[in-house]
Amino acid sequence: MLKRQLPIVIVIVVGFLTLGGHFINNAPLKNFIDNDATQWYDIIAGFAVFLGSLNLLKLHLTRVVRKTKNWQYSIFSVAGFLLMIIFGFVYHGSEVDWGKHLDAKDSYFYWMYWYIYQPLSTTMFALLAFFVASASYRAFRIRNYEATLLLISGIILMLGRVPIGSLIPWWIVGGMYVALIFALIKSYFKSINLSIYSYLLAYVFLILIGGFVFGWHQNTPAFLKLNDIQQWIFNVPATAGATAIMIGIAIGTIAQSYRIITGRERSILGE
Amino acid sequence: MNENMKYILAPLMIVSIYFFGHGSLFLTGNETSFIFVLLSCLSIEYFINKAENEDVYLRPIAGIDAMEEAVGRATEMGKSVLYVPGISGLDQVDTLSGLIILGHTAGMTAKYEADLHVPVASPIVMETAKESCKESYLREGRPDLYKEDMVHYVTDDQFAYAAGVNGIMLREKPAAVFYQGRFYAESLILAETGNSIDAIQIAGTGSASQIPFFVTACDYTLIGEEFFAASAYLSKKSELIGSIKGQDMIKVICMISICLVVMATIFGIDISQYFRMELG
Repeated sequence: MLKRQLPIVIVIVVGFLTLGGHFINNAPLKNFIDNDATQWYDIIAGFAVFLGSLNLLKLHLTRVVRKTKNWQYSIFSVAGFLLMIIFGFVYHGSEVDWGKHLDAKDSYFYWMYWYIYQPLSTTMFALLAFFVASASYRAFRIRNYEATLLLISGIILMLGRVPIGSLIPWWIVGGMYVALIFALIKSYFKSINLSIYSYLLAYVFLILIGGFVFGWHQNTPAFLKLNDIQQWIFNVPATAGATAIMIGIAIGTIAQSYRIITGRERSILGE
Repeated sequence: MNENMKYILAPLMIVSIYFFGHGSLFLTGNETSFIFVLLSCLSIEYFINKAENEDVYLRPIAGIDAMEEAVGRATEMGKSVLYVPGISGLDQVDTLSGLIILGHTAGMTAKYEADLHVPVASPIVMETAKESCKESYLREGRPDLYKEDMVHYVTDDQFAYAAGVNGIMLREKPAAVFYQGRFYAESLILAETGNSIDAIQIAGTGSASQIPFFVTACDYTLIGEEFFAASAYLSKKSELIGSIKGQDMIKVICMISICLVVMATIFGIDISQYFRMELG
């Protein structure tokens, strides 16, 4: 009874108090939700670190003792864990007082942190660049209409965001527009030669019209500048899509929170 | 009296109290927020009650339907299921949603007798996840399959956690990987590694900036509100399903509001001044 009902009662009471605290003009309530409640969470989370550390140690020691599959990796985990505890709490090897050894350049803790932990962490972060490249390759492969749109937008964004993008003249960007139009209407052409000649004719016509009639080589309109096109893609369609997703997330969050604070969503307690 | 009258009278009463106590009992500056929260709660509550008496249609969500298939595939292949609940603590609603979905996934792994592996980045999440898994195995009548080290702590450091989970993926080669929770820059590192081992990957997150990475690298992605609706969808409880319809109605109200604002802007009427709010 207590194990089931008490957590639900706590969730309901604290949930409604927190929600009410945003609207009710009561200093102690506001102080509770802004400071006390978050501090309670930090205290509980702080104590939970011991549980996490013990769990980690127990798991890896068990693997080493039982020599389960890949147990050798666990030796590194346990060794790293114990070494940091020793250099943090037992022996730091520098002249400074305890506590200051965390920032002392000659302490073992400092050395372990800056010369082992930080390079490893940075290496993991740096791997992201390669993963972005492989993910982009997969996303940009032309499989359907959406992937083609993504590829075109991606190329425009990439070119528009680097210095060379501003150097690309209007007649190349114009050529891209004409190519895009011909890609869309290509099924209406009976032969590929006809489509190529038509494309070249249309392209030359655009250059002549743009260059001699509208003077685009001197006064290039925004839709023929890659920088402006990428900015438009970023500001208009991308922002619109992201905003739609964010509205969905916000509404989903409200509904989920409502289900939890009214005690209807009890799956988290295993029900 | 018509039963539905309470959905008109109750909010009217609350709004009356709010505006009479405005400035003294209630804070000023967040009126729009108050009305929106009230409207949302009302809509959700109305449809929850309505769902108790009538069936509510939920459109099929491929990502959620694929969850059971993924667990089944792992069982057939004799491989494990890896569940990653993100790197945030319990103070994030995404983590809570991830843990709720974990409960359902644990139920599936118990039913199919597949191995489940849940590496976590927060000790407090670890305790909750353990409890959730234990209860799910018990509910499915398979407490014997539950193992204490099924849910285990890795580290709370973002990239160390990513390295740890990647290591688990590359060594154990799970057949199904679930990413359900709050993710940051590590999302692509995890999802690309999962992709390289040919695991079926199902992601769900409320982090708008990480959704494109998951869409690219995973087989299925629960986008936006789908992630928060997953629990209701999986539980098939009428009251939870009703709340999904309630949130859809709020979305309709949002769409109408956006159209009205666009129309007003076209006709040169600045109505944004009526919706400004100062929270905090």
